[in-house]
Amino acid sequence: MSETLQAADADVRTDATGSAAEAEGGESLLVREGDVAGDYLERLLDLLDYDGDIDLDVEAGRAVVSIDGGEDLEKLVGRRGEGLESLQELTRLAVQQATGVRSRLMLDVAGWRAKRREELSELGRSTAEKVLETEKSIRMRPMTPFERKVVHDAVASVTGVHSESEGEEPNRRVVVFRTS
Amino acid sequence: MSELADALEHLVRGIVENPDDVRVQLITTRRGRTLEVHVHPDDLGKVIGRGGRTATALRTVMSGIGGRGLRVDVIDTDR
Repeated sequence: MSETLQAADADVRTDATGSAAEAEGGESLLVREGDVAGDYLERLLDLLDYDGDIDLDVEAGRAVVSIDGGEDLEKLVGRRGEGLESLQELTRLAVQQATGVRSRLMLDVAGWRAKRREELSELGRSTAEKVLETEKSIRMRPMTPFERKVVHDAVASVTGVHSESEGEEPNRRVVVFRTS
Repeated sequence: MSELADALEHLVRGIVENPDDVRVQLITTRRGRTLEVHVHPDDLGKVIGRGGRTATALRTVMSGIGGRGLRVDVIDTDR
């Protein structure tokens, strides 16, 4: 949960218009975001003839849209979730087009983020422990912003190590250091 | 019209100022399949995005749906 809170803080600092509008519109703006996103994605599923149920929610100050259903949805998730990240970006743009406000909406498809979050937390913790044992920093493989955030949180839960991101997208990666 | 073209047309319509001007055509040649995206000239920047980000997102989503080798070209109508 600290992942979403940190993301919220970061955006409040960098996106003054978004946060001001959010303060005014509050919950109702987030509900509207979810509705626009839901319509956009539902029509996509219809056109492709994919089975899927769309669930709308508001969590930690952002709209959350989840699609669950048939095997076809794997095609939307794509390799390493790249399709999902891209579809989330397009959905945010569609929401912004309709509301005039930048969106931080989170999209999940076929439970991919939920599953990845568990795996990546475990990877973050085990990497942190290896750094503690060997006293050598470890550069992890390139990850998406979502993946890096989960790993940073997991590393932060281990005493004696810290992590930073380095490199440029799409090769940006987490490096875990021993805290001296 | 193919469902791939319909899907891409819908994705693009949602993110532009002039949705009625969006047209997507699926072109099949011996070298493969290409989805050609036509938009209002004022919307070109929106469809391409900063550093080509939005066009890349459209390509990534469409290749997941339509398989590898499916190209997406945004046509510059100004030329």
